[in-house]
Amino acid sequence: MMPADFTALLPYLILTGAAVAVLLAITIVRNHRLTAGLTMAGLVLAFAALPIALSAAPRAVTPLVEVDGFTIFFDGLLIAAAFAAAGFSYGYLQRRRIRREEFYLLLLTATLGACILPASVHFASLFLSLELLTVSLYGMIAYLRTELFGIEAAIKYLILASISSAFLLFGAALIYTDRGTLSLSRILLPESAAAGALHPVLMVAGLGMVLVGIGFKLAVVPFHMWIPDIYQGAPAPVSAFLATVSKGAVFAVLIRVFSLYTISSESGMYAVLVVIAAVSMFAGNWLALLQTNIKRLLAYSSIAHFGYLLVALLAAGPNSVTAAALYLAAYFVAILAAFGVIAAVSGSGGEAQELEDYRGLFWRRSWAAFVLTSAMLSLIGIPLTAGFIGKAYLLLAGLGSAVWLLAVVLIVTSAIGLYYYLRVILTMAQQPAAENRPAQPAVLDSRLGNIVLGALALGILWLGVFPAPVIEIIQRTASSVLPF
Amino acid sequence: MNVVFYISGATAVLTTAIAITRRNAAHALLYLVVSLLSVALVFFTLGAPFAAALEVIIYAGAIMVLFIFVIMMLNPSAGNPAGGERAGDAPLRDWRLWIGPTILSAILGLELIYIFAGNAAGSTGAGEVVPEQVGVVLLGPYVLGVELASILLLAALVSASHLGRRALPGEEEITEGKGGS
Repeated sequence: MMPADFTALLPYLILTGAAVAVLLAITIVRNHRLTAGLTMAGLVLAFAALPIALSAAPRAVTPLVEVDGFTIFFDGLLIAAAFAAAGFSYGYLQRRRIRREEFYLLLLTATLGACILPASVHFASLFLSLELLTVSLYGMIAYLRTELFGIEAAIKYLILASISSAFLLFGAALIYTDRGTLSLSRILLPESAAAGALHPVLMVAGLGMVLVGIGFKLAVVPFHMWIPDIYQGAPAPVSAFLATVSKGAVFAVLIRVFSLYTISSESGMYAVLVVIAAVSMFAGNWLALLQTNIKRLLAYSSIAHFGYLLVALLAAGPNSVTAAALYLAAYFVAILAAFGVIAAVSGSGGEAQELEDYRGLFWRRSWAAFVLTSAMLSLIGIPLTAGFIGKAYLLLAGLGSAVWLLAVVLIVTSAIGLYYYLRVILTMAQQPAAENRPAQPAVLDSRLGNIVLGALALGILWLGVFPAPVIEIIQRTASSVLPF
Repeated sequence: MNVVFYISGATAVLTTAIAITRRNAAHALLYLVVSLLSVALVFFTLGAPFAAALEVIIYAGAIMVLFIFVIMMLNPSAGNPAGGERAGDAPLRDWRLWIGPTILSAILGLELIYIFAGNAAGSTGAGEVVPEQVGVVLLGPYVLGVELASILLLAALVSASHLGRRALPGEEEITEGKGGS
């Protein structure tokens, strides 16, 4: 490998180094503060190394990994989200009488796997990094060993993720049988079709199974069954990590694949994706309407949000990658803030999951209520929040390339979303009904968690009022992946 | 060589089908071992002797034997009147229990003797992949994959050790009444 290869890989090397440093630190001295500090320092360093890696981009490091502007942008987004999740974890774990240090090790390895996913241009690296992310998540979901809900969620996630990985692997094997290559950029090219091409059925079945594998991780309809239980059972910081880092990284892979090929709007694959996007938007919003548990509500609404994101991909216009990246960034900020508030208001006895637990939050903890309100407004897409800019770009991309049917579905289902997001805000504004609810246990405020929450609330407003710098960064980096 | 391939392939399909339909976990695992052995022979006939050796050593050898021991130690059907006979109780005299895997393994063994007697030179695949080539590719273009796999194992190890260890004094323990759904 050349020195420039190491420059391009620098963020990953730092993340790996941070994981090893945390491991060694745990063996020498168990200290929650030290471990969390090392982890967050590692994440900051990896983030700071991204511009250095960008100087070497675009660079293909071995056939497995390609570091380009697109990779760097998504790595930045994922590392920032992991940083926020680590910030929430500190206060959350501090309240529990458990061993806390290993959590950060798993968080770092999961982040490493997620960061390599956008760089993957080969089925081998795609599968390995996805497994690295998933295996770390098993441990993170079940981390509170005494919470039976968490263990149940981890076992469900273990089984379903293994099945979806098996689908992905089998699909990759079928594609390899037909085309003789595992490189994502070559499997659909005409020359490998001419060289291989045993049978079109092999290729179609292979692509279908890969789509099932990816669809499971993104939890789009009809592969969405797992998501409410996992979000509900996992500790709130882990739910935040799942909702952002895990799903965002897999979505980045999808953007990468879409950027390599222009899928013709007459093909069967296109029709399947249109149906998935439309049904996800409808089903996610309808199911979220019925929830009284805020984590389940966010889980169902995330199905809808990834349906919205698919609209940008299917639009396949000049703005589609910009729109998808911007929407993903806006979604990250809002959903991190929402789960951060859930982590912050949860006591040592259990999490505040029911909407009833949030009644009168404006009076009890106005800061947390304010952050949650801004997150909900952003998820709706109210002007002056990040979500509005994201949705506006999605609609522009959708209407600009005449997938008007999906654009209409997006508008209609967003209107449904208005109802349940506003209900959360209303519940917080209602006077607490003191007689039928036991007093919430006093919760220690975590200063670190509050700082992260403040930064996220600021991010929501900043993206909503003054998005130009972020859009410029996206156009300079992420959009470089575009073929047109 | 083609004959060897088809017999091994048919054995693999048959044993896998039996393995997933057994009600007794120990019996299913015995068939699964035979299934993995026949897959190893398939690899061999396709010109991948290294993959065949790994399949035998790691899957049929290490992992499956571990599974069988774990199931025998845990004895899942003990105390469950509807669960059929206990895995460790099957008397050796009852030939119906062990005759199937034995015959199928014997077929695979005969195939192996047939190959080593030199009757079946060459492979049905595109060519033979020797271990040296595997090593060169793993540490060449796939070196990042190897590194990723090492971190993957670290993550799995840390998760397993965290979930599996005993609770320390003063640590939270599972209390009654905190049931899952």
